[in-house]
Amino acid sequence: MERLDLLLLAIEALDLHGSEAMVWSCQQLELKESFPDRVALWKSRCRNPLRRASRRGELSLGERQGLIELACMLSERLYPMLRQLLSSNEPEELNRQRWGLFRDRYNELVRERMNGRRGAIRQLLDPEQGEELRRDMVLTLAFCAGPGGVQRLEASLLDGSR
Amino acid sequence: MTNFSSLAAAAGLSGTQYRLRYEQSSCRLELTGLPDVTAAAEEGAPKQRLDILTNWDLILGQRANLQGKREHLEALVQAVIPYVRLLVSAQPRPLSDSKSVVTLEPSGERHHLVLRSSQPNTPPLELLLDDAELADLNQCLDQMLVDTRMGLNLAVQPPQPLRRGEYRRHTLQRRGQWLPPAIAVGALAMSSLLISLVPLPQRSPVPQLQESSTESTTKSEEQAKP
Repeated sequence: MERLDLLLLAIEALDLHGSEAMVWSCQQLELKESFPDRVALWKSRCRNPLRRASRRGELSLGERQGLIELACMLSERLYPMLRQLLSSNEPEELNRQRWGLFRDRYNELVRERMNGRRGAIRQLLDPEQGEELRRDMVLTLAFCAGPGGVQRLEASLLDGSR
Repeated sequence: MTNFSSLAAAAGLSGTQYRLRYEQSSCRLELTGLPDVTAAAEEGAPKQRLDILTNWDLILGQRANLQGKREHLEALVQAVIPYVRLLVSAQPRPLSDSKSVVTLEPSGERHHLVLRSSQPNTPPLELLLDDAELADLNQCLDQMLVDTRMGLNLAVQPPQPLRRGEYRRHTLQRRGQWLPPAIAVGALAMSSLLISLVPLPQRSPVPQLQESSTESTTKSEEQAKP
């Protein structure tokens, strides 16, 4: 759940209207049963124990699947931006600025919503480790965009469970 | 983006030849083939379906133009899709052996794609793809695999969660978490060692003189007894 919520947070950092896009995508994906409104979506995301105001308990299967589908659909929508960030053919200075903008917005969201005393959050906000972790997240989103992304992300989130 | 077009008229072929196209910024995959007119139509299957692959082209920007048969396409899919699955878990490592037709392995911040030709005396084609180019290739292959008009039934295993042994814990969750307990155990061991080095307090010996005097008094008392 931690990783899934942090991926959704990365989507919000990449897209200024990310939270609105999530609500809209829930309707598109017919996830009304799991997330009838934005409050229900917010409550599900608050199952992340790294959050400042986290809720106890596990996600239901429907909620978990819904959040995975949501992350993949939004990744597909943001794919051109993700591609720009990962491409080595983009102008270096421009890409550095793009990564800087993403870092600032992501860190701001992390500070606002996450519990800064948790080790994982301290790593995310660490200048050196955070850079690598943010790149991993953008890479994950880019590879989860598209038709095969849902199965891929679903399998990845269950790593180590076998 | 996909296109489906009948090339029969253009190519002057006796049968109907189909072409499927999947495109991304740096990558274009085109499949050319024929429908299997002898096969019984499945329920819900599209009327126009490419069942027999005659040729495929993969254009990687201006860097390479690859062509091949069905087995080469299958090898490409079997190399790229599982490798990308590992990248999603941030565990890049080569999966296929070095003799496979297509191999893909990490090379610094890039990905080393090697395609070996089946023709003799033809050196393998080696390409270094960056993350964006690999993502484009993966998107094209993904689109092809879910396309119902592509009836090639390519063998691809669905992605599976990694086993504990083959999975290095995700960096975000586990990195550095061993440090606090290690420090605690180390501190405990050090303090026990230091405590063991401190000498135990000795009991102060009873003064000998006093003892001997008491002994002599008791002896004299005994002697004085009748």
